[in-house]
Amino acid sequence: MDFNKLPVTRKQFVPVSRLLAHVTHNIDFEMLAGFQGTERPVYTWDVNRPGLALSGYLDYFANDRVQILGNTEIHFMERLTPHELATRVSNMFAFEVPAFVLSRNLTPQPVFLDLCNRNGVPVLRTSLSTDEVISRIILYLTQEFAPETVLHGTAVDVYGVGCLIVGKPGIGKSESALELVERGHRLVADDLVELKRRREDYLYAKTNDIVQHHMEIRGLGIIDVRAVFGVGSVRVFKRMGLVVEIEEWDESADYDRTGLNAQHVDVLGVRIPYLRIPVRPGRNIAIIIEVAALNQRLKELGTDSVKELNDTIMRTNRYQSR
Amino acid sequence: MTEIAGEVEVVNSLGIHARPAAALVQQLLKFDSEIYISFKGNRVNAKSIMGLLTLGAARGSLLEVSCSGPDAEEAYAAVAEMFASGFGEA
Repeated sequence: MDFNKLPVTRKQFVPVSRLLAHVTHNIDFEMLAGFQGTERPVYTWDVNRPGLALSGYLDYFANDRVQILGNTEIHFMERLTPHELATRVSNMFAFEVPAFVLSRNLTPQPVFLDLCNRNGVPVLRTSLSTDEVISRIILYLTQEFAPETVLHGTAVDVYGVGCLIVGKPGIGKSESALELVERGHRLVADDLVELKRRREDYLYAKTNDIVQHHMEIRGLGIIDVRAVFGVGSVRVFKRMGLVVEIEEWDESADYDRTGLNAQHVDVLGVRIPYLRIPVRPGRNIAIIIEVAALNQRLKELGTDSVKELNDTIMRTNRYQSR
Repeated sequence: MTEIAGEVEVVNSLGIHARPAAALVQQLLKFDSEIYISFKGNRVNAKSIMGLLTLGAARGSLLEVSCSGPDAEEAYAAVAEMFASGFGEA
């Protein structure tokens, strides 16, 4: 499977209303002004503290970011006359500004709110400290702007290791997942796996909102894993730690016989350990995946079994060599 | 059905460890003959990685190879060649 050919999507912008809807869930946001501007787009995950812009220096004004007003900015604004403040803010509004966010329940001068109302720039306020609100907004926006893709496969949480199972249609991805669920592991997504990169190095799989944890098993039809196996057998979101490709047994292929040549794949720019597992009658794929997940955990905890065995052999051989 | 036996020497400095064992098995799976390697009274199937690892064959060891089957001569030649080349290792 070629992971480089996945269709990658990335949001161009996030409307302020979305930020508000999400953040009000976690932060006590109130809206002070600019109600008509809630659909304004935010184009970048970073935020800006517009101190220099308020002082009149508008070269390099990072106008496309959410503008954070903390103690510094508010107290600086208080030292300006209403007329001065009106001029400086109007100059800032020559640029497109998505929104202002006030921390620590600060109250700006009335003339500032007037101008924001007139220009339709939303002003949001929270009781959180400035650094806290900045980190939460950046965290949320980086998630929103993260690259995403969808692939055909199955994602299962096996002993805490997220396993992304891929392979040709009909090879037995769903059946393997079903057996893993039977054995007490958790289904994340079947058939349609939504993948998203978080931070630089985390790949998450997510359940599709419509399909949820339904599964199509040939001969059975559609089953609801959550209803059949209980709520403990599913999860919505899981970081992926292993990619397993199931394929038909190929006599001429070089399967890794020792595990010394650990392979990786690049999915959305995240490097993930990769295994190719050939199918053959009598090979129980679910159990092989289970052991692969355990071995992966062992490696992450610092024990690479095959390397340790081989190091011992090489040490002995070197000692005895003539 | 031919049978052929002979001696090969381990020339690579690390001896038979996982990588040479896997390389040898990969090559020998192509042959239909039965191939056995003996060392210090331990006789193992040369198509088994774990078997080869139990030999404990360090550099300088002389191993006895015996092949029997329809393609025994080719199989023996392959074994001899891989040992002589040091499995591509120093």
